[in-house]
Amino acid sequence: MHVLIINGSPRVKKYSNTDKILAKFTEGLTEGGSTFEQYEVSDRGSWDSIRDAFGKNTNILIALPLYVECIPGLLMEFLETLTPKNKDTSIAYILQSGFAEGVQLRCGEAYLKILTEKLGCNYAGTLVKGDNFSIRFFNEDQRDKVTTPYMEMGRIFAKKGDFESEECKKFTGPEIFPLGVRIMVGLVFKTFAKKSFKRVAADWGCTKPLDYRPYK
Amino acid sequence: MVLIVNTTKDTSISEEIRRNISDKGIDAEIIEAGEMRISHCIGCNFCWLKTPGECSVKDDYEQILKRIIHANQMWVISDTALGFIDHKGKNIFDRILPIATMYLTFKGDQMRHVRRYKNTTDIGLIYKGDVEKDFLLRWNERAALNFHSKSLGVFSTDEIKEAASCMC
Repeated sequence: MHVLIINGSPRVKKYSNTDKILAKFTEGLTEGGSTFEQYEVSDRGSWDSIRDAFGKNTNILIALPLYVECIPGLLMEFLETLTPKNKDTSIAYILQSGFAEGVQLRCGEAYLKILTEKLGCNYAGTLVKGDNFSIRFFNEDQRDKVTTPYMEMGRIFAKKGDFESEECKKFTGPEIFPLGVRIMVGLVFKTFAKKSFKRVAADWGCTKPLDYRPYK
Repeated sequence: MVLIVNTTKDTSISEEIRRNISDKGIDAEIIEAGEMRISHCIGCNFCWLKTPGECSVKDDYEQILKRIIHANQMWVISDTALGFIDHKGKNIFDRILPIATMYLTFKGDQMRHVRRYKNTTDIGLIYKGDVEKDFLLRWNERAALNFHSKSLGVFSTDEIKEAASCMC
């Protein structure tokens, strides 16, 4: 199977968490015997090529970060330029987010089904997973820990051509954290996470408190 | 203050709203954003981690952001595409991130970003064209959760009177 992969992140490839996820996913996909071509929506200069590839390919995978409960504005802008197809094409999605719980991504997932219908294609499922915000800030070892599980999902996709299997559904993890976990994680937010964010901000040259109010 | 952001080029929609709320004594501000230069969010995270509260994309959105923090309601008027609001409407929501901070908390049983300003802004949508209305309603409710506020509902441009009755 040959797969057209569209990275729908508005972030440039170098800093794209979605791209780091795709790097591992496509390792598994290739091991599973599939080939692929990948494009980035963040590169407006390639939109003609992506449109052309969308017209020619029948196995399409769109990977995207969740932006305010749905797809990012830039990806929407690109998709608005596509010509809907006939039902000979399948679209699957990798939907990822910063928030960790599965429930945070369900509204976005619901839209991807509607989107597929509007594009005249068959829906081949969505691989849903949160807790990916920090990929960009991690060193290689930490990053691999988060992204390596996507390799197995690539192998499964090479075999089945969709994300409808139980293994893919379980990949999401918990829909909601149990109360005990929420209390613990809430404490981490107030202590360790806060310090980590401040450290990253300092590295980026930030000179103001992170809750600074620039507008009166 | 009720903020109305019209991302379509059809100014008759906001004029109709103005007519419908004229006798209610509402403090309303209408921003005609249809011809404005408003980019998409580029996901740089600078508004959270480098220049807290400020967007790195310098365009016409800043004037909207400065008004949102004073609004108790924001109504976005949007064209539609692919069953949803179009990218111009979506960009208004994606670019709102500077009103949240990087810090996280649990609200109810779900993670949320801690808000930057005390004020909260309820959100309503007015759409022009075809949408999957049930989904749009669900989406607007979820989007409002992110701003620690509530959904005012979603209305087509044929339902301006109903939308105006929710403005206060």
